[in-house]
Amino acid sequence: MLRILWVLWPSFVVAGIAEGIFFTVVDPQELYLFGHPVEFSKIATYSIGFFGFWAVCAASSMMTCLLQISAREVNKGIGAHGGTEGLS
Amino acid sequence: MVSITTKQLPDGKPNFVEESLYEVHKKVHPRAVSGTFASWRWALVWITQLVYYGLCWLPWNGRQAVLFNLVERKFYIFGLVFWPQDVIFLSVLLIISAYSLFLFTAVGGRLWCGYACPQTVYTEIFTWIEQKIEGERNARIKLDAAPMSARKLWLRSAKYASWALLALWTGFTFVGYFTPIKSLWDSVWSFSLGPWETFWMFFYGAFTYLFAGHLREQVCKHMCPYARFQGVMFDPDTLTITYDTERGEPRGARRKGLDPRSIAKGECVDCGICVQVCPTGIDIRDGLQYECIGCAACIDACDQVMEKMDYPKGLIRYSTEHAIEAHWGWKEILGHVVRPRVMVYSAILGAICVAFVWGIANKASLRVDVIRDRATLAREVEGGLVENIYRLHVINVSETPHRYAISVTGLAGIDLIGDRIVEVPAAAARTLTVQVRVPPESGRKGSNQIFFDVKSLADEKVAVHEKASFLQP
Ligand code: SF4
Ligand code: SF4
Repeated sequence: MLRILWVLWPSFVVAGIAEGIFFTVVDPQELYLFGHPVEFSKIATYSIGFFGFWAVCAASSMMTCLLQISAREVNKGIGAHGGTEGLS
Repeated sequence: MVSITTKQLPDGKPNFVEESLYEVHKKVHPRAVSGTFASWRWALVWITQLVYYGLCWLPWNGRQAVLFNLVERKFYIFGLVFWPQDVIFLSVLLIISAYSLFLFTAVGGRLWCGYACPQTVYTEIFTWIEQKIEGERNARIKLDAAPMSARKLWLRSAKYASWALLALWTGFTFVGYFTPIKSLWDSVWSFSLGPWETFWMFFYGAFTYLFAGHLREQVCKHMCPYARFQGVMFDPDTLTITYDTERGEPRGARRKGLDPRSIAKGECVDCGICVQVCPTGIDIRDGLQYECIGCAACIDACDQVMEKMDYPKGLIRYSTEHAIEAHWGWKEILGHVVRPRVMVYSAILGAICVAFVWGIANKASLRVDVIRDRATLAREVEGGLVENIYRLHVINVSETPHRYAISVTGLAGIDLIGDRIVEVPAAAARTLTVQVRVPPESGRKGSNQIFFDVKSLADEKVAVHEKASFLQP
């Protein structure tokens, strides 16, 4: 439970900051998606942008969490079942 | 920096269970308190929430007084209009907030956490609702343990429904700061709310519900970055909620009015009330812990006990590490408020504030961006003149419409074709294309500096002198 929080929460905060900075500098109407101007409403672009940032940041947090698992826990996972118990 | 004690387990090992991944979280049921600090907390609940729920409804000059209009990309704050170009003000404002937080923390400890943080404020409101519906602490603990019954079902539904309503209203208000709230309100009732507005309303509402209703002190303990680094801003002269160990120990129960010294005890009667009222469920008598949000509920509670026992108040009180050691009174504590750290924080904060106010007061009311048309470089037109094309982006930052005269200087024989007068409504921008013509012998080959002058017809002082470059082939 706490681990889910560690992935989702810091990424949420950082995504908020990134969103703020990015869209202050960039007007959604100036964006291009695969060579075509973005046609969503501004609110939609902001929202999708936020979730994009969140997803990217969450991926990074997830990596951190994964790398933080102690050797003992990883070994336990491999040793006992060859599975990924240690990761849960 | 003050080290924050880690609870010791009976066998002397530090208690890291808190930190562990498989933490067993016990629900904290804080007991309600009244007293000086509780009144302060409620006063701040009222002030912050009146501002939050009310400000978005305030009209100003025919529009919403405070509106962060994301679609128009303009922030309105009373008479001021901020454009994306004004982002510097926003950053400075953030720096000011951060520095104020440092300053407050260095002087008064976690004043922010205890009284003003939205997490505390909403938890306070949600707990109040819970208490009104489910009863006081003991009743709630009993209800938690009881098997499901019609009564329990009814109480639970009533509580969750009230929480949900309040959370939804909070979410609606939140969205109302980003899209005009009156039209938002109308579209709620005509069922024409946009999908994203609806989404964010529920999203923010759900967060409020989750954070204030269910997570509560866990947010402070596990999610808040400030709670983690607050210790850095503390020093031995920082006010914190402190249990006077010397006076209180050895603790123990006794009859009322007994002089503690006659039974070789301290003044703590070990009633446990300070633990019961604590929203984070800690025992302040174990020393300063990072979980303590400085809400002062335990002070109010303990003072009431002291009063009943006819002991002097303040067994738990606002004090500093130095003051406890040296038995200082308030005079000495206040005398130590002014110290190098506080002076440095205040000086920096003061300087930034002055710069900020100066910047706002002198904010330009007209802004012009000149962009040379890249598609057509220089070209020759009738009469042998050389022409460059520019796009002028004229932004009227003020709250009144303006007519501006445009002129160009910098080269012999330079002239302008196209609109020389442009009208821009209040807080709006217009982009116009202008052609600038110059005789071929004027200036040198390559890029020449020229200037655009945009002046308000109504007010001479509202003028912009903007550089551009003219290309001579
Ligand atoms: S610890 Fe964090 S979330 Fe909790 S009251 Fe303080 S600032 Fe707010
Ligand atoms: S120890 Fe006292 S001041 Fe700290 S959180 Fe608990 S009740 Fe509030």
